[in-house]
Amino acid sequence: MTAINAGGPPPVTSVPAVPGAPGAPGGPSGPGWGGPGWGGPGWPPPPLDMGVPRFLGRDGEFFGLLLRGALLLMVTLGLYRFWLTNDIRRYLWGHVEVNGDGLEYTGTARELLIGFLMAIVLLLPIYLLFYVAALMPDLIPYIGAVSFIVLALLGQFAVFRARRYRLTRTVYRGVRFFQTGSAVRYSLLSNFWSLVIVLTVGLAYPFAAASLERYKMRHTHYGDLGGQFVGSGWGLFARGILLWILAVAPLAAAVVFTVISVDWLPVLQTLLSLDIAKISALDENDALALAVGFVLMAAGWGAFAGLIFYPMFRAIVLRWWVSGLRMGGVSAHSYFRNGQAYGIYFRFLGYAMLFGIAASVVGLLLAGLHSVSVRDLKLSSEAGEISGIVLGLIGYVAMMLGYSTIFHTIVTFRFWRLSFEMTQLWGLSALDGVVARGEASSALGEGLADALDVGGL
Amino acid sequence: MIRSGPAIYFDGKTSTRHPVTVELDNSALAVKSADGRLLARWPYGELEQTSANAGVFRIGRTGSDALERIEVRDPGLAHAIDLMSVPVDRTGLQQRRGRRKVVLWSMAAVVSLLALGIYGIPELATRAAPLVPYGVEKRLGQAVDLQVRAMLDPGKKGDAFVCGTAESEKAGQAALVRMVAKLETAAELPIPLQLKVVRHKQANAIALPGGYIYVFEGLIDRAEGPDEVAGVIAHEIGHVANRDGLRSLLQAGGLAFLFGMVLGDFVGGGAVIFASRAILRMAYSRHVEGQADTYAVGLIQQVGGDPRALSTILTRITGTKEPSVRVLTNHPATPERARSIENVTRPAIMRPIISAEEWAAFKRICGGTAATPAPKAEAGSPLEKAAGE
Repeated sequence: MTAINAGGPPPVTSVPAVPGAPGAPGGPSGPGWGGPGWGGPGWPPPPLDMGVPRFLGRDGEFFGLLLRGALLLMVTLGLYRFWLTNDIRRYLWGHVEVNGDGLEYTGTARELLIGFLMAIVLLLPIYLLFYVAALMPDLIPYIGAVSFIVLALLGQFAVFRARRYRLTRTVYRGVRFFQTGSAVRYSLLSNFWSLVIVLTVGLAYPFAAASLERYKMRHTHYGDLGGQFVGSGWGLFARGILLWILAVAPLAAAVVFTVISVDWLPVLQTLLSLDIAKISALDENDALALAVGFVLMAAGWGAFAGLIFYPMFRAIVLRWWVSGLRMGGVSAHSYFRNGQAYGIYFRFLGYAMLFGIAASVVGLLLAGLHSVSVRDLKLSSEAGEISGIVLGLIGYVAMMLGYSTIFHTIVTFRFWRLSFEMTQLWGLSALDGVVARGEASSALGEGLADALDVGGL
Repeated sequence: MIRSGPAIYFDGKTSTRHPVTVELDNSALAVKSADGRLLARWPYGELEQTSANAGVFRIGRTGSDALERIEVRDPGLAHAIDLMSVPVDRTGLQQRRGRRKVVLWSMAAVVSLLALGIYGIPELATRAAPLVPYGVEKRLGQAVDLQVRAMLDPGKKGDAFVCGTAESEKAGQAALVRMVAKLETAAELPIPLQLKVVRHKQANAIALPGGYIYVFEGLIDRAEGPDEVAGVIAHEIGHVANRDGLRSLLQAGGLAFLFGMVLGDFVGGGAVIFASRAILRMAYSRHVEGQADTYAVGLIQQVGGDPRALSTILTRITGTKEPSVRVLTNHPATPERARSIENVTRPAIMRPIISAEEWAAFKRICGGTAATPAPKAEAGSPLEKAAGE
């Protein structure tokens, strides 16, 4: 995994911070957003039991942290990632305040490094086995599928264990969060749902998300308080189905149409004959040409619509997710607005464009400077080309890290902030007198997630 | 100086907030409840600052499993605690120092890992290759052979992909067998060669793991004497004898591990991984090609041929141009190769490897190729060792 990992999912895995939501007694129909309903003479003073978490981080500081981290990632070819990840988490966790007390992240970079080394030791024999098997003629047909399945299972195993590590390093009022449950079962469940999502062209996503979140939250604890997830698959389905119809349904329909309308037997025979002349003659198959045209159009539209609606999708999922979280008697409700998600992404696009222009200007200047200095210093053509390649490589890496830094400063940071600040919590008195339980877990899961590239924040 | 003040204490057993008074004595920090009871006493040497919001000075106790915390909001008191306790470091000076060390160590690690990539991995592959049984290498060769044939064979109808099977080509095939038998006997290889001439217009030849060698029709078209072809074949036999195909497979695995999992795991790192792997593999390959040339010279001398014929055909095919970017080629530059071949060569009594009649037949091993015009020199280097890459 990468500390800077553009385009990641919402910080779903860092659940602990935001417990609670409506639905339960005193859901959204009860007290509103700091609204009326409170203040009658008979009411107990509200601030004790309800409140909005605060996030006190400043994006300038966060940007500085990431920028310095990006430079160090470059000079250490990525080895600095353990320290950067740890700094980012300390910053994000440490600036959250719930009911007047701050969260604390107690993990260390050293733990991440050791977890990674342990994961390498664990993975090395597995990779070696795949490598050797890939060289055996009899095994070649199976090796792809087998390694895909093994790595998918291991990856989700790592995701669950990494969440456990992060939770046990999250401390609030001197009491830690922790996670029980079996990573093996989670991995099987998660991979089962991935398969169902693919088979249903995404329609099963809400049910998958609800099921996995229920498993995670059921096994999440803060001291002697138990977590719970009450969001329902149908609830998310109802909120998101319109987006699915707009973005995904045309593609699904086009695929179905293709399967039905084309007479596949002769087409397959032609393809299997491997005869170039016959295959190019497939052009004249009108039904096939029409179907392929439909699929291409639908895919193009799907990509366009996906881009347009992605912020709304994230907002919907974030609201649904936060509002389903419970921790003991604490419930939450998110008032995150679609417009806020669009604001964040537009801001990112704007800054990314500015950065792109600036980077191109700098790149052109450097390229010019390079060719001039190659000529003036009378470098051999070999030295010139090598230094050109190295410069280009550094430029490319700097560019990518720049985009990633901008992305995290704007998108990750603001989503994190708003996922707290747009959340109303009820039943906060349940957080008093919680008895400490649970122990710190090892960072093996984090290391595996890193090595398998499935990590999040 | 302030010696006491208000603070919040969390005892690590429950989440209850204890409003307390912190008192600083000479050796420790005492936590007292509102009614004056002593709740905790932390020696200054065991204090450690933990992360918190700006404006909150939060300390814990080193080595303690419980997550006891004291939070101070009064800057004066925080400053006083900082002064009393050596480990507490509110300016972050120690942390910055520690971080500088981390960065320096990481850079040292990068240098040593790069050295491992440049020197260690080829060395390891060289040491490990002889440990692989020939049976395994042969099976491996079969697998690679299938892939390479699929890549090379255009699958056109008509002539078979392998030359020397048609009736008119039989004489050429016999000449080839004689030439290879001579070389193979001299080479004393531990595995039998599987050498075939195939219909492919490139002037090239390749060796795979497990003794598979392909000589392309294009090379035979451009050859002007049996010693030239024998030199090229001897070069490929050199790859087989040195088990270069196996070595390069092992190296590729080692590099993939080093520059994929350990290094380069960050945004944009993919390009770094790709470039360093490509450059390192080319470097290994250049080294290996040089060794195969040396081997070929020795082998040809042994059978009494002209070792310089190899440099003649190399020069004919690629010309004498130096490549512009040396790090991006997998073979040494041809003039460099030609020079080193001629350096190693000592004059020897020359015996023809095959007779003139046999050579004439050999030229027709792919069926009347003498009629087809010779293809232009390929841009790529000859004697490619496409060991399953």
